[in-house]
Amino acid sequence: MKLEKDDLILLYRNMVRTRKLDELTIKGLQEGKVLSFYHSGQGSEGLAVGSAACLRKDDYLWGHHRGHGIGYLIGKGLDGKAFLAEHYGKVTGSCLGISGFHFAEPEYGALGAAGTIGSQFPISLGWGLAAKKTGKQQVVLACFGDGGSNRGTLHEAFNLAAVWKLPIVWLCDNNGMAQYTPIKDTYPKDDIADLAGGYNMPGVVVDGMDIMAVYEAVEAAVDRARAGGGPSLIEAKTARYRSHSEGSPDVSHTVTRSEAEIAELKKRDPIETFKIKLLKQGVLTEEMVDQINKEADEEIIETEKFSLDSPPPEPSILNKLIYAE
Amino acid sequence: MKEITYVQAIAEALAEELERDEKVFCIGEDIQTGTFGATAGLVKKFGPDRIMDTPISETAIAGAAVGSAMTGYRPVADFMFADFMYIAFDEILCKAAKWRFMHEGTQQIPVVFMAAMGGYLGLGAEHSQSPVSYYMHTPGIKVVVPSTPYDAKGLMKSAIRDNNAVVYLYHKALLGSTGEIPEEEYLVPLGQADIKREGKDVTLVATGMQVQFALNIAEQMKDKVSIEIIDPRSLEPLDIDTIVKSVEKTGRAVVVDEDTSRCGAACEISMQIVEKAFDYLDAPVQRVAAKNYPIPPGAMEKFVLPQPQDIIDAVEAVMG
Repeated sequence: MKLEKDDLILLYRNMVRTRKLDELTIKGLQEGKVLSFYHSGQGSEGLAVGSAACLRKDDYLWGHHRGHGIGYLIGKGLDGKAFLAEHYGKVTGSCLGISGFHFAEPEYGALGAAGTIGSQFPISLGWGLAAKKTGKQQVVLACFGDGGSNRGTLHEAFNLAAVWKLPIVWLCDNNGMAQYTPIKDTYPKDDIADLAGGYNMPGVVVDGMDIMAVYEAVEAAVDRARAGGGPSLIEAKTARYRSHSEGSPDVSHTVTRSEAEIAELKKRDPIETFKIKLLKQGVLTEEMVDQINKEADEEIIETEKFSLDSPPPEPSILNKLIYAE
Repeated sequence: MKEITYVQAIAEALAEELERDEKVFCIGEDIQTGTFGATAGLVKKFGPDRIMDTPISETAIAGAAVGSAMTGYRPVADFMFADFMYIAFDEILCKAAKWRFMHEGTQQIPVVFMAAMGGYLGLGAEHSQSPVSYYMHTPGIKVVVPSTPYDAKGLMKSAIRDNNAVVYLYHKALLGSTGEIPEEEYLVPLGQADIKREGKDVTLVATGMQVQFALNIAEQMKDKVSIEIIDPRSLEPLDIDTIVKSVEKTGRAVVVDEDTSRCGAACEISMQIVEKAFDYLDAPVQRVAAKNYPIPPGAMEKFVLPQPQDIIDAVEAVMG
């Protein structure tokens, strides 16, 4: 699908909204309002927003754990209120404040996310099997990282998805770091996309900092899956601006990543580079950029207020959650 | 009524539920032929899209089942040996057991994980276990263990219709055992214990193969002691009320379990008896279970797995 001017502006706007929500969630954690952890997604906004823009609302989505998948959900049409409230442990959150950072948004096809890295492979396989059985041309966008690619579950699911020709797009957010361990010590080749050949599926590498490159690659894979062509693997080379999780050391093994190294990564910033591109093309003007930022700031204030004003869940709900009738 | 074997009863339950609900399908390794016969012949009637053979990929089998169950299917995932389920514990104990709870109680995960468990065939440490305790320990997942053809069929049908994840563990040494079942359709509800034999001196709680041992022993000892045998049939939900009621009558309890003694089902049930019926007890509760070793193959297994004589000794101990 050719993107019109409004579509491009929406992509830019959604990346800005994703970044600002990320910053707000970090602030919430520092202030002790966010429960448990936050794994910032700064640097991966283009991948999240660009890939989700290729999906229908009823397509299944396992977002990446960077940013707890919110960029993908914003790309699919959700706002940040239920996300932040869930992180605050409030009853107005996505899952009544019970799930925390492994929440679900079933209306948007995000049926779950997990604390065990690599568990997206078998469960997404199940969503893909259901999509094929149901026959409504739904697809699954199943995200994982370079760290997740090390799990054996990848093999079992890649293999069966290919054998059964399931409509799954396996999307790797390769930022080169699994918590504190660089990819050079966990994977013997340059490209994770090379795995695809072993499963007789297409495998491509894209610049994950370039939202248009992401959009084009994911769109092609989604179209192929929807048409019954089976799974694909896309590896997006991205960058991780911050530490693995907020408050944890930003190290490669034991060596702190330098400010110069991070500054180098930020030169490829997906939001800034796309803004410059759209300004050059005349799609955006400086006034429009200011307006988008202003609106995103207002949304953030509202999102924070919504979460702060919401009550926590009552302990009495626990017994209602455990078993279905 | 008709006579049927235990394994035929399982196959019959699967066939009836596959027929009744098109959302039901079976998935696992070599199930079109069926290693133990529980799924044998189903492919002829229901085809390979509903009786799905897979590669050796336990996490993918479990994930395919859990993931599709989340969208409204009712898969039965067959792991062949219960021991093989350990490979997929993330999918079973984290996703299937927790995701309804984590997802505000609206997500249904109607999946059955079936496998053959148990010893007494000399198959060694990784093909003989009765790993009931892991499931009983984990909130959010149910576990059933049939001891007769009647229960095998009725529990499987209920497990498939249940809107939660259910682990269905059938015993390898009971496959060819026979029993009567009704010609017409019936269900055995989860969470309802069955009094397999009435008695007045000792309450003997047992599941699976141990029920058969207990029935033989009760007959053998009937002139000396009147044993009441309670088969919980499902360990989660556990019908503790029926057990407690029996202990109130007999004043003595022996709890038998084929799983490893330490932190096993017998341990949990015994503690619940102590908590709920202490004042009725005339003797300490006795536990009979597998000793705390891996299960050796061949003749050595009898030194680890509970033996009929162990049950007799426990009954005599509570009788004083």
